[in-house]
Amino acid sequence: MSLVQTQNLTKIYGKGETAVTALNRINVQVAAAEFVAIMGPSGCGKSTLLYLIGGLDRPTDGRVIIDGQALEGLADQGLTELRRRKIGFVFQFFNLIPVLTAVENAALPLTLDGVPIKEARIRATEWLQRVGLGDRLRSRPDQLSGGQQQRVAIARALVAEPALVLADEPTGNLDTRASDEVAGLLRQVANTWGRAVVMVTHDPRIAAYADRIIFLKDGTMVDESRLTPATAETTAMWPGR
Amino acid sequence: MIIQMAFRYLTGRKLRTVLTTLAVVFGVLIVFGMNILIPSLLQAFQANVLAASGLVDITVTSVTGEAFPAELVNQVSGIDGISAWAPSLDREINLPADFYDGNSAVADRISAIALVGIDPQAAPTVRVYHIHSGRFLEAGDTSAAVISQSMADALGVQPGQSFALPTINGVVHLQVAGILPLQPRLLPGNEEVLVTLPQAQQMTGLQGKINIIDLNMSTTDEARRRSIQQAVEGAVGPQYHVGVLPAGSDVLASVKLAQAAFTMLGFLALFMGGFIIFNTFRTIVAERRHDIGMLRAVGASRRTIVALILVEGLLQGVIGTVLGLLLGYLLGAGVLQLVGPTMTQFVHVQVGGPLVSPGLLLTTILLGVGVTVLSGLIPAVQASRVTPLEALRPPVAEIEYGWKSRAGFIAGMVLIALALLAIISQQLSLVLLGGLCLLVGLVLVAPALVWPLSSIFSRLITLLYARDGVAQLAEGNLTRQPTRSAITASATMIGLALIVAGGAMIASLLGTVTDITRKSLGSDYVFVPPSIGLWASDIGSAPEFADHLRAVEGVADVSTLRFASTQVKGQPISLLGIDPVTFPRVSGLQFQQGDEFAYRALAQERALIVNGAFLAATGSKMGDTVALATPDGARTYRIAAVGADILNVKVTTAYVSQANLKADFGKQEDVFIQLNLRPGADSPAAEQKIRALTAGYPQFKLIAGRTYIQDLLQQTTAAFVGLFIMLIFLALPSLIAMLNTLAIGVIERTREIGMLRAVGATRRQISRLVVAEALLLAALGTAFGLLAGLYLGYVMVSGLGTIFPMAYSFPVAGMLAAIAVGLIFGVLAAIIPARQAARLEVVQALRYE
Ligand SMILES: Nc1ncnc2c1ncn2[C@@H]1O[C@H](COP(=O)(O)OP(=O)(O)OP(=O)(O)O)[C@@H](O)[C@H]1O
Ligand SMILES: [Mg+2]
Repeated sequence: MSLVQTQNLTKIYGKGETAVTALNRINVQVAAAEFVAIMGPSGCGKSTLLYLIGGLDRPTDGRVIIDGQALEGLADQGLTELRRRKIGFVFQFFNLIPVLTAVENAALPLTLDGVPIKEARIRATEWLQRVGLGDRLRSRPDQLSGGQQQRVAIARALVAEPALVLADEPTGNLDTRASDEVAGLLRQVANTWGRAVVMVTHDPRIAAYADRIIFLKDGTMVDESRLTPATAETTAMWPGR
Repeated sequence: MIIQMAFRYLTGRKLRTVLTTLAVVFGVLIVFGMNILIPSLLQAFQANVLAASGLVDITVTSVTGEAFPAELVNQVSGIDGISAWAPSLDREINLPADFYDGNSAVADRISAIALVGIDPQAAPTVRVYHIHSGRFLEAGDTSAAVISQSMADALGVQPGQSFALPTINGVVHLQVAGILPLQPRLLPGNEEVLVTLPQAQQMTGLQGKINIIDLNMSTTDEARRRSIQQAVEGAVGPQYHVGVLPAGSDVLASVKLAQAAFTMLGFLALFMGGFIIFNTFRTIVAERRHDIGMLRAVGASRRTIVALILVEGLLQGVIGTVLGLLLGYLLGAGVLQLVGPTMTQFVHVQVGGPLVSPGLLLTTILLGVGVTVLSGLIPAVQASRVTPLEALRPPVAEIEYGWKSRAGFIAGMVLIALALLAIISQQLSLVLLGGLCLLVGLVLVAPALVWPLSSIFSRLITLLYARDGVAQLAEGNLTRQPTRSAITASATMIGLALIVAGGAMIASLLGTVTDITRKSLGSDYVFVPPSIGLWASDIGSAPEFADHLRAVEGVADVSTLRFASTQVKGQPISLLGIDPVTFPRVSGLQFQQGDEFAYRALAQERALIVNGAFLAATGSKMGDTVALATPDGARTYRIAAVGADILNVKVTTAYVSQANLKADFGKQEDVFIQLNLRPGADSPAAEQKIRALTAGYPQFKLIAGRTYIQDLLQQTTAAFVGLFIMLIFLALPSLIAMLNTLAIGVIERTREIGMLRAVGATRRQISRLVVAEALLLAALGTAFGLLAGLYLGYVMVSGLGTIFPMAYSFPVAGMLAAIAVGLIFGVLAAIIPARQAARLEVVQALRYE
């Protein structure tokens, strides 16, 4: 059974003449520990799809089912708890709270859930060490590079041990090297740590880190390609794989 | 193009525009509203002080002492500088023996009455009448009277009942409309019956006549007062006597002080209003650094940028100022309308209508538009210096770690030091200026204190919101913008400092008044002659009466005052003989110079304790020897101390020992007696004996001191409580400042809030975050406010001490009130922004730029 399932997912912004159909009857499935990339031109509805899957917004029509749970049945509180426990988010900008240190940022989903601060810190520290930031625990976001900031965001996305990580252009703001590091880390999230990852990106090179790429255009799914480790050019890109 | 862009900016971000314009509106509203209120309140205060002292600025009487046409009022009321006037017709009515009690065996408690005809509308503008039951006179009243409590007691009447008075037309019955409580100026035996002017004219056959015009001046400036006096003298002509409150009198001084204090309040309002506008606008422009960088990148010159901001600021400034002026006027008028009746009822202060001066209008407009443009311009100029590239970094919400300007901190410290020097100088005007220095200084130093203070308070809030991790965030949000937090907290600080300082002032005043009253009148029993203070006209008792009293079982001490009139350097002096041993035990003086040892000097040599009025009248000082005129020629006395009791503050008075009074003046008649019982004495039995003895001396009215004091203190307390409530109102603007900062904080962090919600913060948690932030901010402001307020209070009390010496009382009530107000304001200010933050839709917040 797939971890994420959407059924005829539709999102229309606005009403009447100015209505914009951002998503039109989308059916996608994501299996546990699968790494899926979503690609498509600007304004095709990538972010919208991600927000709907993450329960940040409600669809106009259709449904989202996560881990067997239909989201339309959940009230705001229920959605919030679902996000806290089952989903991790990574965004392009404003990922981190500027006034908190790396550990505090990474521990946020736990502290918000009422986990005692000490324990939350210990778990956040473990994840920061795993993403290679064990030495920058007390740094504030403005003292970290863009790539490091995204790694803190990934640690935060994982700290509550969610089944699913959603990333909206996590490398959109980074240079090539940092982008590769972040994409590699997301790959690891799926492969090593067994979480499903859905990542929106513009960059085909970054999308190639995924197991599967979904192509959107004008709110509809136009193509889907499964990448196999055997593909020659991709192998060259991830020497670690 | 620029105007178009400015317009788009304003309309594009509606909420933000509304908030900043609102800041301008509130800033202007506060300045304008407050300053409209102040003159009316000051006038009311002046009337109150003068009333309490029984004095007015100017009294016009006929040289002959006879009544004169009422039209004379019109000649003086229009004189520039005269703020209030009241005509009256006073007439002494001696009552036939046994007029009220009809019993010749019992001594008459009322033997004479001062009938006072007043204009019910004009009279309260000059002095205040503290009606304590019933109502005050109204125009058109016929056969109605306001009498004192002691007279009502003596006659056994209540409001609504009537009593008789002999007049030229035979006996007239007057209905009691209201009752005045016991007051120093209305002491028993000296009964005043207030009636309307026409009523008095009819009762005395003096239709259309008056014999006194009381006038109050609007200024305390000496030169100006003299010229007003001359104008009055010129208007009435030589057949009238124009009596003026002497320069340097303590009453004048306290009015002067009140004026200074109210002016300071006006300045503070200005300060606070400017602050609110500045803080809000600064934030908004600082937030636009990114946009500005972008504009610069695409080729906008610095001047274009500055012009853009200027146009925006001007637009908002003008709109905000116009609205603020309108609302401010409504506020001022509304508060006067609202507060008027309550003030009249509880504080016995009559407030007039709102007063708008052209100067105030101009200042307010300049402030509204000026501060807005300026507070936009400064950050805009700063931002326009930023290289385009720097401003184009990904828009991370601005953080300011540590405070930027060490210069500000140093300047602040210097100002605080100046404030300290100012108190040492003991100059009233310097002390007031120092208070202002202190506030500005604290504002400058504040940013450096934000971090340590907020980390302390966040511990407390962590306890409140345990396990949420919210307090930590709130603390971070405050410390990331120490300057903004400090400025906001400063607005709160000023408001709360007023409460604390006012509390200190009131507590000290109340404590001192209580103290003096207790000292002067605190004995168990007081034997009051017909007129207090005017001792010459009283008939006292031979020493035997006091001796009999001393012999009563249970009586501990009996202290008496004896009187002789004398002259020093041609000035008439009222000389009071005291017993240096028992007087301090039963009663006592409030010393301004010297101390209790002076009593011993009185017993051992020809020494005097004199009051302030004595020093002023004779031009002498402590330690001088002065020649007192006695029936046997001059005698030299040494001034051993300066002090007074409540009964004799106004009259030029010197105290001597009764032994000296007998030796040099031959007087040993007791005109005023105070008596204390032994602790645990059988008081009902003692009182019965004392009353029996007193029956033989009808010139004395026996009153129980404690009841009297209680009455007096109750009134004073009510007045002060009213004043205090007013101070709390003055703290209101700080609420607005806080609300604005929080709301802007929410707008500014929209994306962050979206992110927090995405990672699992509930709406409740977001709303708590804002509340926690508000509480922290309020706690900061309160902490600053307590500090500043304690200091200001101390300064005010000691500043006032040069005029009216009082002991500093720690303002516990003021501090508690300030803490309560601070916390309540914090929560109130948080309500709207917290709801706003909690309601944000996650996706919208994430997409917000
Ligand atoms: N709140 C909204 N109101 C109206 N239309 C909206 C709103 N949010 C998004 N849209 C529209 O929905 C469509 C999809 O937007 P979405 O942000 O999902 O695109 P995207 O694929 O993420 O684009 P990009 O690659 O630029 O981030 C766009 O046409 C956008 O204009
Ligand atoms: Mg997008």
